[in-house]
Amino acid sequence: MEHFAKENGRRRNLLFCTLWLSMALLSTNFSKNCFKILEDAFLKLSATYTSPQIRDRHVLNPKPRLRNPTWFIRKQRAETDEKLTPENEGFIKEVVQDKYNQTQPVEAISNVEWTPNLQRTGLIARKIGIYPLWKKDGKKIQTTLLQVLDNHVIRYYPPEEYNPPRKRPGRIYNKKACLLMGAEAADPSTFTKEYCGIFKQSGVIPKKTLGRFFVSPNAALPLGTLVNAMHFQVGNAVDVRGKTTDRGFQGVMKRHGFKGMPASHGVTKTHRRGGNIGGGGEKGRVWPGTKMPGHMGNRYRVAKGLKILRINTSHNVLYVSGQAIPGETNSIVYIYDTKLPLRKPVNPLPLPTYLGDVDENVPENIYDESIHSFSDPTVVYDESK
Amino acid sequence: MFQSSLKMCVRLSSTSREGLRRISSSIKPVGAHSVRSKPDSLKQEILEYRHVYPEFLPDPKFEFRNSVREKLERNDMIARRQNIDIPEFYVGSIMAVESSDPHTPGKTHRFVGICIQRGGCGLRAHFTLRNVIDHQGVEVQYEMYDPTIHKVDVLKLEKRLDDELLYLRDALPEYSTFDPNMEPEILSEGTSVPVNTIKVKLKPKPWLERWERKNLQGVQDLELDEKFYKKAEEVATPWEKYDLMKEYMRTIPVEEQTEIYGELQTKLQKLNAQGKKMKRKRVFVKPTKLA
Amino acid sequence: MFVRSFLGKCCFRMNVPSHNFHSSSQCFEIQKLTRLRVVDNSEIGKQAMAEGKPPRCIHVYNKTGVGRIGDKVLVAIKGEKKKGILVGLKQNQKTKVPKFDSNNIVLIDDNGSPLGTRIHVPIPTILRTILKEKTQAKGADYTKLLGIASRFV
Repeated sequence: MEHFAKENGRRRNLLFCTLWLSMALLSTNFSKNCFKILEDAFLKLSATYTSPQIRDRHVLNPKPRLRNPTWFIRKQRAETDEKLTPENEGFIKEVVQDKYNQTQPVEAISNVEWTPNLQRTGLIARKIGIYPLWKKDGKKIQTTLLQVLDNHVIRYYPPEEYNPPRKRPGRIYNKKACLLMGAEAADPSTFTKEYCGIFKQSGVIPKKTLGRFFVSPNAALPLGTLVNAMHFQVGNAVDVRGKTTDRGFQGVMKRHGFKGMPASHGVTKTHRRGGNIGGGGEKGRVWPGTKMPGHMGNRYRVAKGLKILRINTSHNVLYVSGQAIPGETNSIVYIYDTKLPLRKPVNPLPLPTYLGDVDENVPENIYDESIHSFSDPTVVYDESK
Repeated sequence: MFQSSLKMCVRLSSTSREGLRRISSSIKPVGAHSVRSKPDSLKQEILEYRHVYPEFLPDPKFEFRNSVREKLERNDMIARRQNIDIPEFYVGSIMAVESSDPHTPGKTHRFVGICIQRGGCGLRAHFTLRNVIDHQGVEVQYEMYDPTIHKVDVLKLEKRLDDELLYLRDALPEYSTFDPNMEPEILSEGTSVPVNTIKVKLKPKPWLERWERKNLQGVQDLELDEKFYKKAEEVATPWEKYDLMKEYMRTIPVEEQTEIYGELQTKLQKLNAQGKKMKRKRVFVKPTKLA
Repeated sequence: MFVRSFLGKCCFRMNVPSHNFHSSSQCFEIQKLTRLRVVDNSEIGKQAMAEGKPPRCIHVYNKTGVGRIGDKVLVAIKGEKKKGILVGLKQNQKTKVPKFDSNNIVLIDDNGSPLGTRIHVPIPTILRTILKEKTQAKGADYTKLLGIASRFV
């Protein structure tokens, strides 16, 4: 109480003081100096004021718990009619070309020796469809074609600098660095200035798609490096992350594969419904995680451990085993080296990425040893086997 | 005369072809530029390919299309065709397929039969052969680009009145009985593919499908009650062939077809020449084999 | 009177249009009570087929209860229980595996040796692999069936 009284007294004194001061100053000519003094005084006043109870403090816009990454910036610019003459349009195109024609990365890439613990970067690709390949024993196998796009390194965050949007409890050992990759070059004039700013550091033309990949600091790539499909090797496994097909609000039969209820035998109005959703008594509530109708699809899912069966180096296409990779045809997917412990690669991988040129020395199609190439002769079953 | 069917989505009936061209040219006038400059006869020749090699046309389902994938697929098909001669054939042709069999290693297996169905696009293309062996109807489906197939022979090249001959399953067995040691009939060059106008007699009901509703041409009178025909008339959808939008959704536009076959033309011609050479060789070898 | 009415009923039954009972054979699955066709020349099989009383499947010896090619089934034939191997199905098959117009079985005894001495329809070659796999070291030997086949497709 004493403390409060003292403080109140002081505050009152200050108030009087300032009032007096301001009156005095008001009478004289205003000047910048006077304002400064006034401002300081008010600042002091506000600094001394503390509320008696913390819970009374009302914050209008609390800090969000989940913060978006720094590169989540508004991308598309509002379209306005610029009323450009054709000459001007051509000129703008020239300027863009001149500005972004630098293709070589700033630093030279150093070749690092591969160890199984090193994590390499992933790639951004497009799922372009499904078609069968045949194995050398004549069996058919369905493959999904993933076209690796023009992946450039946009930004690099060393482990100590990278500030994840969501903090993990506890200490993270072996913290990974983060690489920001961009794919699909586009006309920069369609993007906002802020979005184009992301690409300033690397000197790469602004891209439509961005992807974040964690890498070991040793496996980091210099900015502006172009990564192609040869980054991966035939016979190794990859994980593919994609956004599943949006199916909208769906019932339990489609969403969770429930059986539904009988079509007849006195059943009315409950043919495709889930039925009971909880017990009674002690558990008289709906348990969290109960399977119920809701939105289905349009969320990221990872298909793990898919084997690369063939690589087309001229079109940068990976043929990956399986036909259930999340996403529709022509949707964007992200490819990583697999996390599955039993499918880790045995032979050394190109680290940090494939550094050679893709020219005549590289075959157009690289097949896994189990896959029959279409230009090979017909399969014959040997009698001795 | 070809009628478009859902599976063999590439064929256009002559009546709707005009309409289709109208639609597609109004929607995609840009793609037609390069095509229009070509002479008409060449264009016609290219368009003929769609009957001979229908599987080179992609699946018209819009959500599955991707130009890079389709191109890669066509390259693979050509690569396979360089190893094996897949001749021109139609539903109704009598064919022999020789394939290596994993269950009898070291030997090849030959099956002769009439092609009753053909479908699939790209590397998924397939056809079904049917024959009656030892009074037992047998059908085998083959994939055209399966690398275990050694040889595809057309013993008798002809068409039938229908797009699918699935009704042979309900027909009398003599209509699908073919001699496995049949000699190939060679058509002289330049003749058009003959149409076999044979009318098949079906067994009495029960059938696998309600054939009276399928508007079959190659079938004798079904000898059914009047009410079956009445019902068939009720459920028929004769207006669908005039539905231009539907036609557009299930076919590849003519402009795109010319583009695809225009790219493939030189390769296909080379393959054809190769195939003819092989055929001559085979004819020469055959008597020694039989002897 | 009774006889006449019964006959009348019978005749009526014969004339009932097929849509009143299940005539759709789209689903060619072999399950319990499916009628099968004996294709070997065993005495009991020949008689049953000649009488127009083809055997019924009363059990399929696998986990799904749906008979696939090469599966063992128990059939009721002429008041007896016999075992048989499915050697041809109406069901759609994989590519290069033949599909037949009837569901064929070959009768076998408990040791796997066939009751007949000849099979008079073609047999799919895939049975060579399937039956070899199903034959265990000291159990029934199903591969004897392949010896009496007249033709493979």
